[in-house]
Amino acid sequence: MTGALLRLAWRNLWYNPGRTLIAMAAIGLGYAMLMFVACLMAGLRQQMIESGTGLLLSDIEVHAPDYYPDRPIQQTLGGRNGTDVNALLATIATAPGVQAASPRAYAYGLVSAAHQSVGAQLLGIVPAQERKTTVLQTRMVKGGYLTGQMPNGVVMGDELATALGVDVGSEIVLLTPAADGSTGNDVYTVVGLFHTGLDAMDRALVLMPLTSLQHLLRLSPARIHEVAIKLRDITTATTTAASLKASLSKTLPVRVMPWQELAPELADYVQFNRRVTFILFFIFFLLVAMGIINTMLMAIIQRTRELGMLMAVGMRPVQVVGLIVAEAASLAGASLVLGAALGSPLLWYLQVHGLNLGHKGGGVSLAGVLVGPLWYGRQDFTAYAQAALGLAVTALAAALYPALRAARFRPAEALRKV
Amino acid sequence: MAGVLLLVKIGWRNLWRNPRGTLLTALALGMGLTLLLISLGLLDGSQEQMIGNAVRFGTGHVVIQAQGYQQSGSQELLLPAPVMSAAEAFLHTDAMKHVVRGVSPRLLASGLLSSAANADGVDIMGVIPIEERTVSLIPQRIVEGSYLSDDQQSGIVIGTELARKLAVKIGGKLVLTSQMVQLPDTEAADTGGGEMQSTLLRVSGIFRTGVQAIDAHIIQMPLPEAQTLLGVPDRITEVAVLLEREGDSLMVAQDLRKQLTGTPVEILTWREAMPTLAQLVSLDEAFNYVMNGVVLAMVGLAIFNTILMRVLERRYEFGLCSALGLRPGQLAVMVIGESLALTTISLGLGLVLGLSAQHYFATSGLDLRWFFKSSLPTALVFDPIIYARLSVTRIASSVGIVFLTAIVISLYPALRAARTELPGALRVF
Amino acid sequence: MGWQTARITICVGLVWLSLGQVCQAADDQRAQEIVDRVARLFASKSSIATVEMQIVKQDLKRTISMQFWSLGESKILVRIRQPPEDAGTAILKVGDKTWLYLPKANRTVDMPASMMMTSWMGSHFTLDDLVGQSRLTHDYVISASFAGYRDGVAVSEYTLTPKPAAAVVWGKIALEVRQADLMPVWQRYYDEDGKLVRELSFSDYKYVSGRLIPTHLVMRPLDQVGEQTTITYENLVFDAPISEDMFSLKNLKQ
Repeated sequence: MTGALLRLAWRNLWYNPGRTLIAMAAIGLGYAMLMFVACLMAGLRQQMIESGTGLLLSDIEVHAPDYYPDRPIQQTLGGRNGTDVNALLATIATAPGVQAASPRAYAYGLVSAAHQSVGAQLLGIVPAQERKTTVLQTRMVKGGYLTGQMPNGVVMGDELATALGVDVGSEIVLLTPAADGSTGNDVYTVVGLFHTGLDAMDRALVLMPLTSLQHLLRLSPARIHEVAIKLRDITTATTTAASLKASLSKTLPVRVMPWQELAPELADYVQFNRRVTFILFFIFFLLVAMGIINTMLMAIIQRTRELGMLMAVGMRPVQVVGLIVAEAASLAGASLVLGAALGSPLLWYLQVHGLNLGHKGGGVSLAGVLVGPLWYGRQDFTAYAQAALGLAVTALAAALYPALRAARFRPAEALRKV
Repeated sequence: MAGVLLLVKIGWRNLWRNPRGTLLTALALGMGLTLLLISLGLLDGSQEQMIGNAVRFGTGHVVIQAQGYQQSGSQELLLPAPVMSAAEAFLHTDAMKHVVRGVSPRLLASGLLSSAANADGVDIMGVIPIEERTVSLIPQRIVEGSYLSDDQQSGIVIGTELARKLAVKIGGKLVLTSQMVQLPDTEAADTGGGEMQSTLLRVSGIFRTGVQAIDAHIIQMPLPEAQTLLGVPDRITEVAVLLEREGDSLMVAQDLRKQLTGTPVEILTWREAMPTLAQLVSLDEAFNYVMNGVVLAMVGLAIFNTILMRVLERRYEFGLCSALGLRPGQLAVMVIGESLALTTISLGLGLVLGLSAQHYFATSGLDLRWFFKSSLPTALVFDPIIYARLSVTRIASSVGIVFLTAIVISLYPALRAARTELPGALRVF
Repeated sequence: MGWQTARITICVGLVWLSLGQVCQAADDQRAQEIVDRVARLFASKSSIATVEMQIVKQDLKRTISMQFWSLGESKILVRIRQPPEDAGTAILKVGDKTWLYLPKANRTVDMPASMMMTSWMGSHFTLDDLVGQSRLTHDYVISASFAGYRDGVAVSEYTLTPKPAAAVVWGKIALEVRQADLMPVWQRYYDEDGKLVRELSFSDYKYVSGRLIPTHLVMRPLDQVGEQTTITYENLVFDAPISEDMFSLKNLKQ
């Protein structure tokens, strides 16, 4: 019975191809636009996350349990005795989903030039490995990045250099409490300046070779504070972090933090963005509801005679309701297909070529991250599915009013209508 | 000419031959406008809110500082007393009362905060509690104890992170140590410039903003105490001004500049004082641009659908008119007349609905938590409730755009109606 | 009792009370003097000392040997002799300005004045502890809280309560002093909840330049088990002539 009803419904749609096509075009295009926005926004969120984590945070960080957020220099991975750094890196690098891992040490100290001393964060890295995890090396504005060659070379933010009155080639002194309680100090040469557009980094960050910082801090080479991890797919951050914790904890007490814990403000904005996009869905559903009610009402008024005849030959009111609802459902379904077909090339284009917002969205720093003027889209199948589902539900609900009205036709009267 | 008028009258009456149908169509069209207004209102409102919240953690919409302070951040660059009073007097005049929401003079410096357990470097904000409440968000984020009060002279509010590090509770003792400021325009030699001073403070409240940098480093204390500590009894670093509408920022800044010409001050809008926020906002504007464009397109499609359908319906009727002798041109005029009338009714309906919805959202707001019951752990930086805001310009342009769209869209069917082929149109069913 | 008797009784009573108050005042006065003496134990026109500081912390043990000069209360010069990696490091404090000389870098660095309140060279003492003792009588209300024998030695204990507006973090400080020679035995620092936070012990009393001083000081933080810093004064000389030039930046670099 339902099968026949559906076939009837489908055929009914095409008796008035003009009206049906217009409605399909409107709903279909609307759906395509929703997909477009969802795709664009997903791409924006992705870009923001990658920008936010790509410079320094990385996708996941591994620390000793009591290390974060105070970062006491004594809390190295593996405690006072440290750990086999190479083995640890190897284990992490071969874990599923991990693209690269790099070791780091941190300290907070005084950077002193001829007439000025400024407090800054000192970060010790292994340049060759760090390149694979983060992208700070792409932000150099003067001089060069760290190399293996100069153990006493450092790289700092351009604003820090200005505050100190130094430039590439200048000598500076780094002063920091060492692990043995003494005051670690040594002379270093500035080999490069970077500019990220982020205050926290440009004003207060100094990068140096890991071994140099360990030496300054009187830490043995087995002692590092953190392993930074880059994933193949950043959306797996939380799950990969959990599995890493499980596997590493067997031999080493660790705390594994995905970027959401490291940059909660960024995670917040991403959520917020998603929610605002939802408002758009809501508007679309409302418009579709109105459209369907309108279309179907007009349809049944036009088909009063036909419906009257159907009821006269025995179609029950329930079946009439079913018919109208089925028509609406078919309309919605067809529109969805049309919309998806129209939208897909657009989505593909967005993902591959991006949308250039030029003057409006150029080189912006957002919630602590940088987003460029070119927005790439990213497929958000969940959103597409949610929109489609919502559309279907809306169509069905909207069709109820006209359907119920049709069901209340009295065959005798209906037949007499012109 | 009289013919046109008659045609239009006929067009009007055509509408009312099927009152329910017409009203339904008007509603459908009107909804388009309503939704456009709602979406614009919410997006504008959410942006304004974002800016509002962000500037409330910083320097307000407009800030008055000593010249060069923005660039160097040097503690020694302070506002002279006469500037302070002139600025405050101006901002409290009747003319400004409806524009300005709050004015807060502040003294900013850095120092060392010690407790029995620990010590840490902090950023000091000397404020007048009752005025700071009108500008900053910190007074509203108190989680333990209470904010500073005017009569309590040695209170201090610190963030949760700092409280944890110093292992201190409400009422606990803290000693703040700082270097006295060397004022450049006085005899530096013997004013005790550079001398260290300490003062005793007791924790009156602990706040949590969710922003690590604030919770771990910022402290607020009564302005007079801060001035004494730093040896600058009648100076402040900045006057932060919070406005009712972000849109007035430029105007207020200009007015202040006029009031204070000749004095060594800088008056900055939030875009200049907080450039990272300005960038974030332009990105958000771009985002809103896209969203609005899409809503408009969707509304356009809805209008398209509604009108086109209506016209297609009436091929029979148009055919009849043609058969009765109406010329194509006249038919077109009649259809256009109908469209105009219908559009006007729709817009009227849409406007009424839209403005009422707008009023509701402007007062009660849209609570996003309704949609997402799951994780909102730090609903601290981003307010989950959006309040809508619509300017008259926005309303006017929305109405204008929908009107034009409706008219333009109805032109096509009008022309097609005019060219209805007789035999086909008269076909019933 | 007649009116007359009552009056006399009242008068006598008042006299007793005031006498008692006077006695109390005299006691407090004495307490004040004694505590002041303790605070000024190391104060002098000038001093030269060789100091050995041993730091024991959870993860490290370090012994620093330094040469210490002071002139009045506002000029201090410290030069580190041992261990070799820190040898040659020097700190100069003149008034509220502090400089640090680093031999490895051959640089002099400006130190922020608030360094006074932070841990000195990684130890449990702050610079303020070492040179700021003279503010005890200024910031605290002193009262005698015990007098008697402890461990066979006649001692007096004084309780120092911070004055309402005094810029100190402590809830109270307790000081035990030997009655015989007024030498401090220990100084205990409590927070406002009455919890003992740190204890400074004095011992090894010797005569230096005519006065008796403790030459062995131990500071123990009570929340870190097993940690302490010990300061031993060797070769301490008071009031020897020191030239002002000693306390100059130029001299610092030497």
